[in-house]
Amino acid sequence: MTEVAEAGRSGVVPIHPGVFESEAQGEPRLVGTHCRGCGAHFFPRRAVCARCLSSEVEVVPLSPAGTLHTYTVVYQSTPEFPTPYILAYVDLPEGVRLLAPLAGVPVDQVQIGMPLRLRVEPVRTDPEGRTILGYRAYAAGGAA
Amino acid sequence: MTEVYAIGIGMTKFGKHPDRTVADLGTEAVLEAIRDADLDPRAIQAAYCGHVFQGMVAGQRVLAQTGLAGIPLTNVEDACSSGAVAVREAALAIRAGEHDVVLAWGMEHLTGRFRGAFTPAEDDLEAALGLTMPAIYAMRARRHMEEFGTTRRQLALVSVKNKRNASLNPLSQFQTPVTAEEVIASRPIADPLCLYDCSPVSDGAAAVILCSDRLARKVTTRRGIRLAAAALRTGEVESGLTSMAFEPLTRKTAEAAYEQAGLGPEEIDLAEVHDCFSIAEILRVEGLGLFPVGEYPARLERGEADIGGVLPVNPSGGLLGKGHPLGATGVAQVVELVRQLRGEAGERQVAGARVGLAHCRGGKAAGIEGAACTVNILAA
Repeated sequence: MTEVAEAGRSGVVPIHPGVFESEAQGEPRLVGTHCRGCGAHFFPRRAVCARCLSSEVEVVPLSPAGTLHTYTVVYQSTPEFPTPYILAYVDLPEGVRLLAPLAGVPVDQVQIGMPLRLRVEPVRTDPEGRTILGYRAYAAGGAA
Repeated sequence: MTEVYAIGIGMTKFGKHPDRTVADLGTEAVLEAIRDADLDPRAIQAAYCGHVFQGMVAGQRVLAQTGLAGIPLTNVEDACSSGAVAVREAALAIRAGEHDVVLAWGMEHLTGRFRGAFTPAEDDLEAALGLTMPAIYAMRARRHMEEFGTTRRQLALVSVKNKRNASLNPLSQFQTPVTAEEVIASRPIADPLCLYDCSPVSDGAAAVILCSDRLARKVTTRRGIRLAAAALRTGEVESGLTSMAFEPLTRKTAEAAYEQAGLGPEEIDLAEVHDCFSIAEILRVEGLGLFPVGEYPARLERGEADIGGVLPVNPSGGLLGKGHPLGATGVAQVVELVRQLRGEAGERQVAGARVGLAHCRGGKAAGIEGAACTVNILAA
């Protein structure tokens, strides 16, 4: 895999350095750190294992499937984020919890514990007009 | 080991001071602390200044105004814990034997600098995803409601209590009590939190002078209040999926502080805790072990955390009522504890208070539970 960096695709920048990688010709995927010593996973990536301090760590793709730990509807934010929008913490089977915007689900149908699926996709454009590649969570099985 | 005493305190009114500079606010608090300690300012050997958004060497501008220029000064940044960390650094300098009389103060001028919601640092992954500070706490609130049956009204009652206490504190930003209905009807910020569940944008400064037991009686006639513990921890990298309705960082910092002080949560008579949001006070007192996990909302509802209750929480008005000028907050908590333990807190005096605890917690970065957490314990 290679990191999706600023020059990776014309006019596309990752939302944060080091969160995506892609196989040759493949779609970018969310990646985290896996510790070969104790098996723990981390997101975002860590230089050493935060649990056992081993430096025998590798970059691995993260599961796109998870469940909703908690969520909120944000009504007041900074200017680049039009409100309202839903944010959720998503628990992945590797034991990783990550924050993701939740899309395609009406607020009254959002529930703690609901299955979600993470999708890597363009989320907005930056002030220079470049596409920012980010990720969002959707209800698993719904909103194809 | 050298004991550390708080011998002088000073604090500006917290609120909107659009016509004053941060150095002006800091100067007022520092000069008041020197007067309060009844101290020759030449006795002060070093200083620590907590601030977050005030730019380079903001502390030096206050030294220049107060006749203290020349002494060693460290500007301290640890988000909302900055002031509390400054107090701890001052105490460490005394315990290390390097100095005997050390000034710690915190100051912040936010009016005009900020509108709306705070976010983690701009280059943080979660900030890039749209995370705001109210949103983090809103998500923690939802977990607390899910796991313990905490109600929207119980969340609001934290703000009701703290704004009521603030109305008894002339230095508070808010001087008017609110009802639970008013809290719930205020503008939504991050569901379930509304405007009155959030601490305000504030300007202000607070200062404390610390002194070794060796010199305390020589430099002042003031009775010192002993700083029995000053603990600091940073948030650990999250590994595994523990509930966001509980704060391991607060618990671990509290355990370190109780060990230093040689006492337990049952011996705390009053607490000033970091209620940046209504839910935050719930998470803090449960994390500190002051109330059993999941039980605080019901106990609060019964009045147990009121002034005059079993364990008064945020008698000063807290961040929700007194205001939250970031760098000043941790020092202002210590100022309140000193007032209370001296018996000088006026209408909001906690009767018979002998041991007080101050808790601060600030900052967030992706994948860690929180950035910096402090617990300072003072004893009469």
